[in-house]
Amino acid sequence: MVILLLTASVCLSTGSLSGSTAGAPADLTDAAINQRYQARRADLIGSAIGSLDPAKGSYLDVAAALQRGENIPAALARLTRLNEAPPTGNMFWVYPVAALMAAGGDRLDEANRARLAELWRTYWPSRGDTENHWVLYYAGLYIAAQCRPDTGPEAWFNGRSAAENMAEARGYLEHWMNVTTAHGQGEYDSPNYIGEYVAPLSLLAGWAADPAFRLRARMLLDYVLYDYAIEQMNGQYAGAHSRVYPRQVLQPGRVTSSTIGWLAFGLGDRQAGGQSLLMALSGYTPPPILERIARAAPRPYVERELKRTRWRMRNAGPDAITVGDRQTVPVYKYSYVDQDFVLGSSQGGLLQPIQQQTWNLRWRVDRPLDAANTFFAVQPYSSPFEGTMYFGGDWDTVTDLIARSKADYDSPDKLASGSPHEQVFQHGPALIGLYDIPPDTRFPHIITLFSRDVREVVEDASGWIFAQGGPVYIAYRPLAPGEWKPNDWTGHLAGGAGGFISAGFKEWGTGHRCYVSGARHNGYVVQVAPARDFASYAAFQAAVRALPLQVSTDPQAEVVFTTLDGSVLRARYGAVPSVNGVPVDYATWPLFDSPYGQAARGRRELELRFNTERYRLDFDANAITQSVAQP
Amino acid sequence: MIARLRLPALWIATVLSAAAAGAPAQFYAAVAMTKAQKNSSTPTDSGLYRREADGRWTHFGPRILGIGSVAAQPGNPAVLLIASADGVVRSTDAGRTWRKATGWEVVDVRSIAFDPLNPAQVYAATQWGPIRSDDAGATWAPAHAGLAKLYSQTVVADRTQSGRVLIGTEDGIYLSTDAARTWTHVASSPAATILRLAQSGADASLWLAGTQHHGVWLSRDGGKTWAQVDPASASANLYAAALDPHDAKVMAVGGWNTGVRLSTDGGATWTDRSAGLPVKHVFVLAFDPNTPGRLWASTFEEGTFFSDDRGQTWQDGGLYGAYGFDYIFIPAP
Repeated sequence: MVILLLTASVCLSTGSLSGSTAGAPADLTDAAINQRYQARRADLIGSAIGSLDPAKGSYLDVAAALQRGENIPAALARLTRLNEAPPTGNMFWVYPVAALMAAGGDRLDEANRARLAELWRTYWPSRGDTENHWVLYYAGLYIAAQCRPDTGPEAWFNGRSAAENMAEARGYLEHWMNVTTAHGQGEYDSPNYIGEYVAPLSLLAGWAADPAFRLRARMLLDYVLYDYAIEQMNGQYAGAHSRVYPRQVLQPGRVTSSTIGWLAFGLGDRQAGGQSLLMALSGYTPPPILERIARAAPRPYVERELKRTRWRMRNAGPDAITVGDRQTVPVYKYSYVDQDFVLGSSQGGLLQPIQQQTWNLRWRVDRPLDAANTFFAVQPYSSPFEGTMYFGGDWDTVTDLIARSKADYDSPDKLASGSPHEQVFQHGPALIGLYDIPPDTRFPHIITLFSRDVREVVEDASGWIFAQGGPVYIAYRPLAPGEWKPNDWTGHLAGGAGGFISAGFKEWGTGHRCYVSGARHNGYVVQVAPARDFASYAAFQAAVRALPLQVSTDPQAEVVFTTLDGSVLRARYGAVPSVNGVPVDYATWPLFDSPYGQAARGRRELELRFNTERYRLDFDANAITQSVAQP
Repeated sequence: MIARLRLPALWIATVLSAAAAGAPAQFYAAVAMTKAQKNSSTPTDSGLYRREADGRWTHFGPRILGIGSVAAQPGNPAVLLIASADGVVRSTDAGRTWRKATGWEVVDVRSIAFDPLNPAQVYAATQWGPIRSDDAGATWAPAHAGLAKLYSQTVVADRTQSGRVLIGTEDGIYLSTDAARTWTHVASSPAATILRLAQSGADASLWLAGTQHHGVWLSRDGGKTWAQVDPASASANLYAAALDPHDAKVMAVGGWNTGVRLSTDGGATWTDRSAGLPVKHVFVLAFDPNTPGRLWASTFEEGTFFSDDRGQTWQDGGLYGAYGFDYIFIPAP
């Protein structure tokens, strides 16, 4: 494959070059995979350097130029401009500046070198309050301190020497790696925030001087990228997400994970981003087995994953487990990954504050960039109970302060939310959602999104609502009636709720509609099937109509449903669901479980599998082992 | 005394005597400027502000997000400890230089209290559990033993007994008599998150607790037993609690939608003293050791106010737009 170098801006820019799986099957030999990856790296780095001038460009663009020794005058002039005003980005300042120092510090002029030293002395960047904040901050601090190894406390904003800062950073990063590989990530599977893990891990994998730590970071990068590769549809991150923004909910291809998918595996449309640029600069190269899994793993398969909630400081609840001195709740993820769609879910509940997507269906599209190929339901919930569970704010102000940056948090028509009144259960391509919504909750309704890409919607007399999403048939059976409303029926986002949240709403937020039901005991059944399995849309509808189904909402929402594959699913709100009479075993839910990856809870080992190939990440031994069995 | 300010009582006496001698204590406010915070998760400014003699507020110390309070070592006010989201930050030269004294494990520190009778002993309430220091804040260790739930945002060292300290948690009030090595639940304390604890500077047996959803609680026996007072605010969130260091019968609480409520009879009856404030959302209260009878109130984003007539009238004290977390009076070094 010939890769053309493109000129494009760095921030989520797109080009005509594509690595989409829609075309001919790629050569998946190690050599071919590596050749394509190196070409995409060169493309990103070249674009970043080429776009740089004194008035435009990020710290990472400057880093690219300094590392490659190209466009140096512009890079230095740009850096001078970037550093004129006191920084404000906290950890988002720390990591790119550290990258710049590591990648191109030896090409800095004296004035810029002195200014950076001054900023490290005077600007106190916050660690922030999220998992990604901390990883960014400490990875950046580690590398920045490593770049100034002999500096004493007087040289640093926090009055600690370079050695002390490195030790503190290393301590946290080791802790985070241990928790992640034993208990799962807290900020799991976020199409947006995956970049905030890829970037700091790239920083460490590329520039940590300690070879053992550098290897460990590389292993975590492998781990994070596998976590993405196993649950994506042509580069779009699928399945349940910890955190998504409104735009990303409705335009799931235009997000950081897709920029990384394109760079790492050539998936989807070409997109560039700061985090993928840093990965490209780091020299990290994904192990080829990841691209083989991402592109060629035979589908369908079931992927199960164990994650955890963000640490709960208050209101931890009876389900909480303790890790160290922190409390969390396990997140049980389940995804059915077909060649034409991914239906993925978590169990529901307050798993992440603000931006949780408990389940969604994503179907294959040839050009994923601007598609609205998504279908899901949500109970929009906001409360100081949730806010004080996860944030350090006060009961009476926490909701207000959250909404100042996440403007949709306290809106009744928001599309991303956790809910303590929700239980979701999935088996194969079928899913049941149940609700017990108390009357005093803030938004006592559920929303099911029928995006503008959902076509041929039929409200059947049987109670099923049928629809088509690309090559996928969807059957949706609400337990209680609802009404159709446009997306954003309060006009909150369309009215300009906030720059990052609502910018460009007309482009991505219009044309969708929602099925909104206000019944307190409520729920739905979803059965999905690939169109290829049926002679016609009508045949699918007939098959679903014929499926045995019992539903009740009194005294609790309850469903007994026989799926298209003959499985009998039984779910009642407040009870453990069952498949063919066997209760779902959450107690033994593994960290990763599919034909392509296995990791047991608490073991800190992940084994990837593709045909006879094995790739094993052992975080206790800090070692990678690879093998290919002879046929 | 500056009850809810968590200032050590001996030091409070120092502050009072200093004020009486004509050397007023310096007045600090720990705040975040949230009023102008738009499309952002961070305030436009935050940290400690010091009130100058002319009434201006000037920023003091490092600009760190989430500064909850500051404390000075009794007898050596050049040693300052900042409670911040980034941990405990320490100065030994009256704020000329600072050093983060805690590692990555310590986060979201909300309040700090020196032991007035043992100035090397310090306690801090963090939202992930209390910590303690035996060397005036230079090093710290967890202090969780005996706690059912770790969340805490208020801690006060008893000025009458070294090593005796009360902490407010998500699970009510806990008492330690061994310098926070072990904690015992105070059975009569409310089963609620404790938002603010304060000990009287005038009568060491008097303690106040502001709570979440459970109003104000008063102890008349040094924190051993507690009882709810002021039925009118019985289910309120009370973030502020203060006792007048010059008059043991005068005390005040403040909260969300409650404004300022004042008692002048030792907690028997309470009166709404919010008239004149722009909003009835109050997060910090303090009686001024420099000016007997003066009560300071920090409203949510609408400014700081003071009253010299026990809350009957209020005057603008500045800091418009601030979300206050604490008021602190510190002797000048």
